Amino acid sequence: MSAERPTLEELKERKVLSRQRVERSGEVMTVSMGPQHPSMHGVYRAVLDLDGEVIVAVRPEIGNLHRGVEKLCEERTYHQIIPITDRLDYLSSFVMNHGYCEAVEKLMGVEVPARGRYIRTIASELCRIANHIMWLGIHIMDLGTQTFFCICFRDREYVLDLLEMLTGARLTHSFGRIGGVAKDLPDGFDHRCRKVIDFLPQRIAEYERIIKHNRIYYKRAKGVGIFTSEDCYAWRVTGPPLRSAGVARDLRKDEPYSAYDEVDFEVAVEYQGDVYDRFLVRMKEIRESCKIIRQCLDNLPDGPFLARDVTHSLPLKKNVLRDSAAMIQDFYQVFQGPLAPKGEVYRAIEAPKGEMGVYIRSEGGAKPARIRFTTPSFYHGQALPPLVEGEMVSDMVAIFASIDVVLGDCDR
Amino acid sequence: MNAAIQLEERFGARLLESVEFRSELTYVVASSDWVEVLRFCKEAPGLAFDQLDCLLGDHLPERTAAPFEVVAHLVSHVYGHRLRVKTSLTEGQSLPTVTGLWPSAGFDEREAWEMFGIVFDGHPDLRRLLTVEDFEGYPLRKDFPLQGTVGGRIRTDLRGKI
Repeated sequence: MSAERPTLEELKERKVLSRQRVERSGEVMTVSMGPQHPSMHGVYRAVLDLDGEVIVAVRPEIGNLHRGVEKLCEERTYHQIIPITDRLDYLSSFVMNHGYCEAVEKLMGVEVPARGRYIRTIASELCRIANHIMWLGIHIMDLGTQTFFCICFRDREYVLDLLEMLTGARLTHSFGRIGGVAKDLPDGFDHRCRKVIDFLPQRIAEYERIIKHNRIYYKRAKGVGIFTSEDCYAWRVTGPPLRSAGVARDLRKDEPYSAYDEVDFEVAVEYQGDVYDRFLVRMKEIRESCKIIRQCLDNLPDGPFLARDVTHSLPLKKNVLRDSAAMIQDFYQVFQGPLAPKGEVYRAIEAPKGEMGVYIRSEGGAKPARIRFTTPSFYHGQALPPLVEGEMVSDMVAIFASIDVVLGDCDR
Repeated sequence: MNAAIQLEERFGARLLESVEFRSELTYVVASSDWVEVLRFCKEAPGLAFDQLDCLLGDHLPERTAAPFEVVAHLVSHVYGHRLRVKTSLTEGQSLPTVTGLWPSAGFDEREAWEMFGIVFDGHPDLRRLLTVEDFEGYPLRKDFPLQGTVGGRIRTDLRGKI
């Protein structure tokens, strides 16, 4: 069984061996890769020390996309921060709304109604699917195939269409609200969503048929960039890279939020910890996401989708000009904003790229005193040196793509 | 919580304050105990906090005696529990690094240094992380303005020369 499920010791040994394949001459040359390099997925810069083609040392340089999100948040009310969180990980922006709203609800003690929780779960999982399909296209393009990128983008379009139907926007959704979501499911969403999630697993099978046994992909990905579970803990690498190293850690299971404790799904785990297994984990996750969405649609409860909480959530827009109480609530929420008690909370959720945490310290007012977004890409970008040192330059492209870094998420 | 009992047994009065809010446990320690407490959290078998979820700086200007704070969030993969450990610092006071315990603290400490001016002794590479190299000031301090031209000036004197 050890070939399929290596122990930690075996994996460590394999990691060391895989990084001693090429002889070194001892002459070191320094090369700057990025920030405009196409395989750097944004504006990430890595300064490489090369010995021939072997990477001896890496110094990651980030910050080219820094927008001062945390400073901006300190000057805004809790409602006004939601559109800013979209811009963190702009490839799965609803998940960022979701994480932020979970943290604020924990701070304020707001209960989300069941329908709101289910709609959040559906939107989050749609984002996860869109993110993973996009990841796959870019990952394969980095390894030299253009056509497959177009195939992935075509299929991602079906999911984005659903998200557009649900939220009104394709990328920056701003759909989460404190106490629920902005809108109910639109008419006809159920039917269209079922069509897409019935059809996607077939597409995933097709992707796997193209990629999984492709000799070129196999050679580029198998046994490359091995990262053991110990390394993952030390460098706070979470999400699919951690699960590909044989750790069944998924916050949707371990610290359930929204409707994840009411649906049945499996945590995708693989055991080799290399680029190939990260691909397998993500493909499994898309299938599980389809399963989660189907269960949510089947069991979607009736009732309000936004908490009827006068002091913390916005009223329904259609009531604002008809009902005086709703109008007062709207004025209160927009001009003053919800008040939070004094205290601090930390809430982490499972974003497509890893664990995304939000720390809020409140001094008891309408604005947070300090917000920190603990985004997965920040730590994944930091973990590049231990991931690639000893590997070849061409493998670095594959490894960097396999950990899925988005620079909006990294630089904040 | 088992972790709380173990920590209180080991450190007793050296844990200056403990707060529980929304079922999250926070301990405040003195800055001289910072590394020792965190090392115990990581290495004690009953605690086993093997991952540093995040480490951040904070500024509380109304607390004039010790206006800076460093907050560490720990998580254990063995037991699944979480813990928050905090320490307070005065202006200009430095704190020993924890990169030896969790290498992932490297970027966090660099960020806390550039945003708040908290120096981490023994950090292997304490440079600016998110802002440009010649940036002046500590942007996340409360007295730093939200709008302005600090560090963001446009070099008109170089026009036509590059």
